[in-house]
Amino acid sequence: MNRMVLLTLCLALLTGCGSSVRVIDPTTDPAEEANFSSADYFEITDKMMNSIETNGFFELYRAEHGGEKPVLLLAKGLKNNTDEHIDTRLILEKIRTAMVKEGIADYVDDHAFDMALDQLNMQATDLYDNSKAAKIGRFVGAKYVLRGTISNLRKSGGREDINYMNVTLDIFEVETLLIKWTDEVDIKRASKRGMFR
Amino acid sequence: MKRLAFAAIALLVIGCATYTSKMQHSRDAFYDGHYEEALEDLNKLLSEAKGSDHYLYRLERGRIRLAAGRYDSAIVDLQEAEERFSDIEGTISLSEEISSIIINPTMGEYEPYNHEKILINSYLLLAYWLRGDREGAIVERNRIVSKLGTYINTLNEKDRDELDIPFSRYLAALLYEVQGLEDDARIEYRRVGELYPDAAPQAVNPHLTELAVFIDAGHAPIKVSREIRGYFERNAGVLFGFFFYPGNENPLVYNLGVVSAFSPDNLGVIFTFAFPQLIRDESIIHSYRVVIDGIDAGEAVLLDDFEETTVSTFNRKLGSILIGAALRTTLKTLAQTKLKDEVGGAADILGKFFSVIDRADTRSWQTLPAEMFVYRLETTPGEHEVFVRYLDNCGEVVAVSRKVRVMVERDGKGIVYFASGVAGDV
Repeated sequence: MNRMVLLTLCLALLTGCGSSVRVIDPTTDPAEEANFSSADYFEITDKMMNSIETNGFFELYRAEHGGEKPVLLLAKGLKNNTDEHIDTRLILEKIRTAMVKEGIADYVDDHAFDMALDQLNMQATDLYDNSKAAKIGRFVGAKYVLRGTISNLRKSGGREDINYMNVTLDIFEVETLLIKWTDEVDIKRASKRGMFR
Repeated sequence: MKRLAFAAIALLVIGCATYTSKMQHSRDAFYDGHYEEALEDLNKLLSEAKGSDHYLYRLERGRIRLAAGRYDSAIVDLQEAEERFSDIEGTISLSEEISSIIINPTMGEYEPYNHEKILINSYLLLAYWLRGDREGAIVERNRIVSKLGTYINTLNEKDRDELDIPFSRYLAALLYEVQGLEDDARIEYRRVGELYPDAAPQAVNPHLTELAVFIDAGHAPIKVSREIRGYFERNAGVLFGFFFYPGNENPLVYNLGVVSAFSPDNLGVIFTFAFPQLIRDESIIHSYRVVIDGIDAGEAVLLDDFEETTVSTFNRKLGSILIGAALRTTLKTLAQTKLKDEVGGAADILGKFFSVIDRADTRSWQTLPAEMFVYRLETTPGEHEVFVRYLDNCGEVVAVSRKVRVMVERDGKGIVYFASGVAGDV
């Protein structure tokens, strides 16, 4: 009997020592603090995409341009007015990915310009078969820009932290500066640390 | 008699190295401008550090890395330290609290003073700005403003004047100007002007092309451990003992006669009352002249006196520190006089041992400067070469900083930061 108890204890100890890996769903990963979390990226993308799809501007554009999709450009990043170091470009890129996948719009790649220019210059040399080389002068200019701001208002005191975050995005027309779509997402979260650590 | 001699030697010789003594080499190397040497020593300390000191060493390393221009690694150190200090704020570790009372006050994790918490973000702001990441600097600015609201703005007027951090407010205001947020900048500059009228700019103009030069001055005050140590024993009914006082190497011997209130038996009682003392380090530098593009542009003015803030904060906490020290001394003495019979002498031996090795908690952020000076002038857009002449009170140049090249955009604000040690040990 004593041996059984001893064996059980040893097994319990050994089990506790092993390392483990588990997969976490980033879309539902609960925030442990009041700070910006990975799930917020998904929440913002979902809400913004719903708004874009129901806005009507993109359908109207396609109707007026013979089914052609509008061409957009991403801003360098969201204007970060928070007190957290957030990868704001990721929010824009997630929305871009969703819009392209849904066939709502086309995007020009603002990061690929130098690379594309190098390739075009290279292919214009005699090193390449000129009949099959990529043609110069066919870059498409963006008519609209997706941009935005993320802000927060935090109240901290002792072990309690209350964080209100606001993400506002808009799409403006380059020619006219008119805002064609805009929406915002509010997130408010409070966390309280335990008294004992 | 042998026991007496042993007790005297033990009280004089044995004792754990304090944080201040461990940091001495790294601190001296940093202030001498030997950043690599300071970092090498600090890395060694960090690898040997117990958990309770780990993030304090990270703070020290972050400061040195910032001074050495290693902005990325400075950011990592300062950010991780900030995160940890934020996590433990307002929380209690029972095991640490108990061992701090029974064994040593350094058993508890280091928790920075509130003004140090704000300075962490101020140095992070500098690191981001100097590496060209304006967005990152703005985030740190927002954190500074938030912490000023939590730790400083809620204080009464007297405390606020003593504990405010005008350096942090100045940095925040400068970034507000860069963003074109004049009103926000004005609020912070107004507060700077209330504390140091010469340091605040005469007017707020985001469209002015300006250069702001920040200069670390002097060395942060450090804490040292002071101990009153003693030994008592009762022999033939007579209470006899000796004391070692701080600053007095010779023991003071007492013969207290037949006192009945305190009754150690013939095994004797060793006791130590250890408390920290803050030591200022006087600088021979009297003024700082800023030279821009080879022209003596002017004298920097005092923007912040960190030393005074540290002393004010320390004095506010001194009461509770002394109570803690007295409690520790009492418990260790009681262990030797009251418990030993019940536990067969183990408590007596432990009480003696922990009494002998007792030291005060000397931990503090030791690579901070004593003061911060600022010089600001309107300039032309483009690249400028800046350096600082360090003058003594006779107006003689005793040291010259390295030369720094800085690019100032049209209608923008450029900054230059001369950290401690750039001119060697001055």
